[in-house]
Amino acid sequence: MPPSIHPVDLIAALRQQHLTPAIVFLTSRRACDEAMEAFNHADLVLPPVRQEAIGTALERVIEQYPSITEHPLIPIVQRIGVAAHHAGHLPSWKIAIEELMRQGHLDAVFATTTLAAGVDFPARTVVITQSSIRKSRDFTDLTIGEVQQVAGRAGRRGKDHVGFAVVTPSPYIDLAVLTKGLTGQPEAIDSQFTISYPMVLNLLKAHPHEQIQGILAKSFAQFQLNQRAELLEHKLDALHVQMEPFGPRVCTDWITQWQTFDHARRHRHTRHQTHRSESPEISARLPFLSPGRVVGLSRGRGIVLRQYRSKGQKNSMLTILRPDGAVTECPVTSVKEVYDRTCDFEETPTYPWCSTDTFDRLSHQLEELPQRLPVLPILTSTSHEPLPDAIVQSMGDFPCPTCPSRPACQKDFVTASRLRQEQQRHTKSIQALRASLWHRFQERVNVLQKFGYLTLATQLTIEGEWARLIRIDHSLLITELIRAEAFTGGDPSLLAGILASLAHDDDRPGAFPRISAGLSSLLGQVRKLAESLSPYEDPPLLRADVAALVERWVADPTLTWIGLCRLTTMAEGDIYRLLARTLEFLSQVQALKSTHPGLAGSASQAITLIRRGVLEELP
Amino acid sequence: MTTEELEQLLAQQPVALLHRLARGRVHRQFRAGKRRLIELLLQHSSQNRAGLESDLQTLIGERQPRSESEPSRTHRPSPLPTKKTSLRGTDSEPLESAISLSAWLEGIGVPAPQPFIPDPWQTEALSAVSETDVVISVPTGSGKTYVAVEAARRAMEDNRTVIYTSPLKALSNTKYTEFSKTFGPDKVGILTGDRQENGQAPLLIMTTEILRNLLYDAASGEIDIRLDTLGLVILDESQYIADPERGVVWEETIIFCPSQAKLLLLSASIGNPQDIADWLTSIRSTACRLVRHSKRTVPLRAGYLHPNGKLTPLFRTLGIPHGHPHQLHPEAKRLFLEYEDETLPSGRQRR
Ligand SMILES: Nc1ncnc2c1ncn2[C@@H]1O[C@H](COP(=O)(O)OP(=O)(O)O)[C@@H](O)[C@H]1O
Ligand SMILES: [Mg+2]
Repeated sequence: MPPSIHPVDLIAALRQQHLTPAIVFLTSRRACDEAMEAFNHADLVLPPVRQEAIGTALERVIEQYPSITEHPLIPIVQRIGVAAHHAGHLPSWKIAIEELMRQGHLDAVFATTTLAAGVDFPARTVVITQSSIRKSRDFTDLTIGEVQQVAGRAGRRGKDHVGFAVVTPSPYIDLAVLTKGLTGQPEAIDSQFTISYPMVLNLLKAHPHEQIQGILAKSFAQFQLNQRAELLEHKLDALHVQMEPFGPRVCTDWITQWQTFDHARRHRHTRHQTHRSESPEISARLPFLSPGRVVGLSRGRGIVLRQYRSKGQKNSMLTILRPDGAVTECPVTSVKEVYDRTCDFEETPTYPWCSTDTFDRLSHQLEELPQRLPVLPILTSTSHEPLPDAIVQSMGDFPCPTCPSRPACQKDFVTASRLRQEQQRHTKSIQALRASLWHRFQERVNVLQKFGYLTLATQLTIEGEWARLIRIDHSLLITELIRAEAFTGGDPSLLAGILASLAHDDDRPGAFPRISAGLSSLLGQVRKLAESLSPYEDPPLLRADVAALVERWVADPTLTWIGLCRLTTMAEGDIYRLLARTLEFLSQVQALKSTHPGLAGSASQAITLIRRGVLEELP
Repeated sequence: MTTEELEQLLAQQPVALLHRLARGRVHRQFRAGKRRLIELLLQHSSQNRAGLESDLQTLIGERQPRSESEPSRTHRPSPLPTKKTSLRGTDSEPLESAISLSAWLEGIGVPAPQPFIPDPWQTEALSAVSETDVVISVPTGSGKTYVAVEAARRAMEDNRTVIYTSPLKALSNTKYTEFSKTFGPDKVGILTGDRQENGQAPLLIMTTEILRNLLYDAASGEIDIRLDTLGLVILDESQYIADPERGVVWEETIIFCPSQAKLLLLSASIGNPQDIADWLTSIRSTACRLVRHSKRTVPLRAGYLHPNGKLTPLFRTLGIPHGHPHQLHPEAKRLFLEYEDETLPSGRQRR
C-alpha cells in the first residue's frame, strides 16, 4: 500500500463524492509543489467553460497585480482547476488563488498548515494529512485549537449545508492527536509577555519610574500571575489551619529550636562539612527541587526524583527522570528552569526513589506536558543564613534535653517542620509571582543605564530619546551600530543589506549571489558587536547570503524581479518577505530624521529603491 | 537474528506490544506510529541488540498463553492510559450502531439563498459594543466580520475614528479591499511601517504592531488627531495574544488603548475567553462583555480516506462526538490499523 494517497486520486475521490472545493493541508511547500507536479502528468482536464471562467477571473486580478501576468502556474491552474498556495508564492499570486477560491472556480487548493491562521477563505472540505507541524526546527503536535482552526475552514456559510474534515494518513500521522483535536475543547491561552528594551524606553518616556509598576500590573501576564498567586494563597490558608496544633509551646518558635538542637546533636561529629558553598540563587532553588517537580535542563525536561548530597560534590545533587524513561544524576546547577508544575509523588527509600506506579505515571506525564510551562519565579534572598557554627558548638545551651515539652516536640517535629517549609515556600512563590514582572523590568533598566540610554534617575538620555524609536527585534544591536557610526558611508545598499541580515529570521539554506567586499567587512563588524551584546540580547542569525541579495536589489535599479529571482534558489515569496521586512526595519531608521539626518536620508533612499516592481503592488 | 528478521518480527507484533518494548528506549514513544516506532527501536538498539531481542521474546512469551482465549488487548492493563490502546479498545461493539457512509454523505449541497438575518450573538455583541468593551470568542467561520463591519459603521456615523488591526499584512490587505468595497474607498485607509494610503480616513487598517507604535507616540506627547477622535479599536484574530514572539504587542495595545475608545476583540474559540474578559474588566473603565459560543454554524462531519481511495466516516456518529475522541467508526479504525500494520516494514519514505 502506498504510504499516502496520490494527490490525483485524492482529488478524484473528493470530486466523485461532491466534496469539492477542498483545501488540502500538506506538511511542506515541497509537498504542495509536488502535488501540482503530479497533476501535470495526469490527463485531467476541466471542461472549457470552467477553464474560461478561471481565465476571466484571473485576468481581473492581473489587472490589479501585473506581476503575475506571466506566472508559470497559470496554465495548469486553468487546465485542471487545482492550485497550490503557500509562503513560497508572491502575495499577489496568493491573492489571485484566494479570489478564485472565493468565486468557486477551483476544486482544490494544496496549502501548508500555516495558511490556516493566515488567510480566510473557506471550502466545503478540508483534508488533513498530518498531526504535527514544524515550529522553530522541531515538529510538535497540533494543539486542539490548531486542529479546530484547520477544520474551521470546512463548510462555507451560505454555500454549504455541511462541512467535511477528511483525515487521510501519511507515515507519521498520529490519529489520536487529530481525534482529540476534533472532539476536544480548545486549550486555554497564556500570556507571553516579554519586556523589551524599546518597551522600557517608551514607558519611561511617557511615565515616571514610580508609575511603571502599576502599568505592568495591568498586563494580562500579571493578571495570570495573580491568578496563580491566589491559588497559592488558598493553599497557604489551608496550611495555616493545619499548623494550628503546632503553635507556641515552651519555646515560642519550638520548631526552629528543635531543629537546631536536633541538627547540632546529629552533626556534632561531622561538623566540618563544606557544602555551604552554594550560591544564593542555588540555595533559593533547593526547596523547590523536591520530588515530583518538573524542571528544564539544558536538553529537554525532567522530573525530580530525589535531592541528595554526595561526598566530593560541591553542589547538591538531583536524581532526575528523563523523557525516554532514563534516570540520570546531575548537580542542581545543571537545572536551567524550575517550572511551576509538580506531579503527585509517592516516595520510596530506594532506587528509583518512587513507587513503580509513580514512575510509570511520571514517565507518561513527562511526555504529555504542554509545550509551554510557566516558569516558577524564585526570589533569591541575600540573607540566607546557614546554621551558624557557634550554635552547633554550644550544645550545652539548649533547653531541649530537660524540657517538659520534649516528647511532643520530638513527635511533631517532622510534620510541623514540613508544613512550615511549605508555608515558607508558598510565601516566597507568592512574593515572586507578584513581583516578577517588575524585576524583569528592572533588569532591562540596568542594562539600558549601563549603555547610557537611561540616566541613573531613569530619565531618557539624549541617546535614549532617539533609541526609543527603534521598535523592532535586535533593537539594542541596531542602536549600538548607529552609535558606533557603522553606517557612516551613507550607502543605501549597505544599510539595506545589513538590516536585511538582521530582519531575516529564516534558516532555510539556499544559493545566493556573492557578497560585496564592503558589505562583507561591515557584516564582520556587526557580528562582533552582536557577540559582545549577547549577554543582553539574543544575537541574530546574520545571514550574509540574504544580505547580498538585498544589497544587489538596492544597488542595481535596472535589475528586474525575474533577474533577482534568478540570482538565488530562494523562493519568490521568501524574497518578497525578506524585502518587506527590510522595508519595515528601514522605516524605523528613517524615523530618526531629526537626530541622524544623514542616516535617515540613506534609509529613505533605500526604501525608494526597494519599492519597485512587485514591491510596489501592495501597501 | 538478522536485522531484517528482527524487523519482520517486530512488524508482526501489535502496536501495544511495541509501545511496551519502546518504554525506556524510545524518546516520546507515545507519539510514534507503528512504523516509526520500529524504526526508532532499531536505531536505538543498534548498540544493544541482544537486549532488545530478549525483551521482545519475553513480551511475546507473555502474550502467547493467553492469546488463544482473548484477543490482543488482554495484556496486563498498561499503567499508561495511552490513546493507542483505546484505539483498539472497543473492538467488540456492534457495527450497526455506527453511521453508514451514505448517511454520512447525505445532505451535501448548497442551501437556498436566504435573507441575511444577524445571529443572536451578533446582535448581542453589537448592542454591547456601543456601551463597553467586548470580547468575542466563537468558532472560525461564524461571522465575526459582520460584527466588526457594523460596529465600525455605527462608530463612523458618530464621527468617530475606527482602527481595525490584524496580525498579518496579508490579512490587512484583504480587509482593506473588502472594507473599501463596503464603505467606499475614501472612507478606508491602510497604514504600514513605510507607507500610508488614505491615512486620514475614518476607518484605518493596520497591523497590531503599527497601532502599538502609534500608541507609544501618543503616550510620549506626540499629537495624533486620529487617536483623539478614536471611538473603536477592533483587534481581529486576538488569540494571537498567546503568540510567543508577538503576543506582547496585543497586551501593550490593550493596556495603552485610550479609555474613550471601545475595544472589540475578535477571537477564534479559545479555552479561557472569560479570563481575557475578566482581565479587560480589571483594567478598563467599564465591565467587559464576553460573547462566546462553541457551536459551528455550518455543521461539521469528519471522514477518513484510506490511501487506496476508500472513504468512511471517522466517527461512529454523524456529527463530531464532542468529548469522545475514542468513538471511532469501526471501519475507519480497521482501515487505520491496517494502514499502520501494512506500511511496514521496509519503507523509509520521507514525510
Ligand atoms: N448572520 C449571518 N447569516 C448568514 N451568513 C452570515 C451571517 N454572518 C456572517 N455570515 C457569513 O459567514 C461567513 C464567515 O464570516 P467571517 O466573518 O469571515 O467569519 P469569522 O468568524 O471566521 O471571521 C461570511 O461569508 C459571512 O458573510
Ligand atoms: Mg475572521
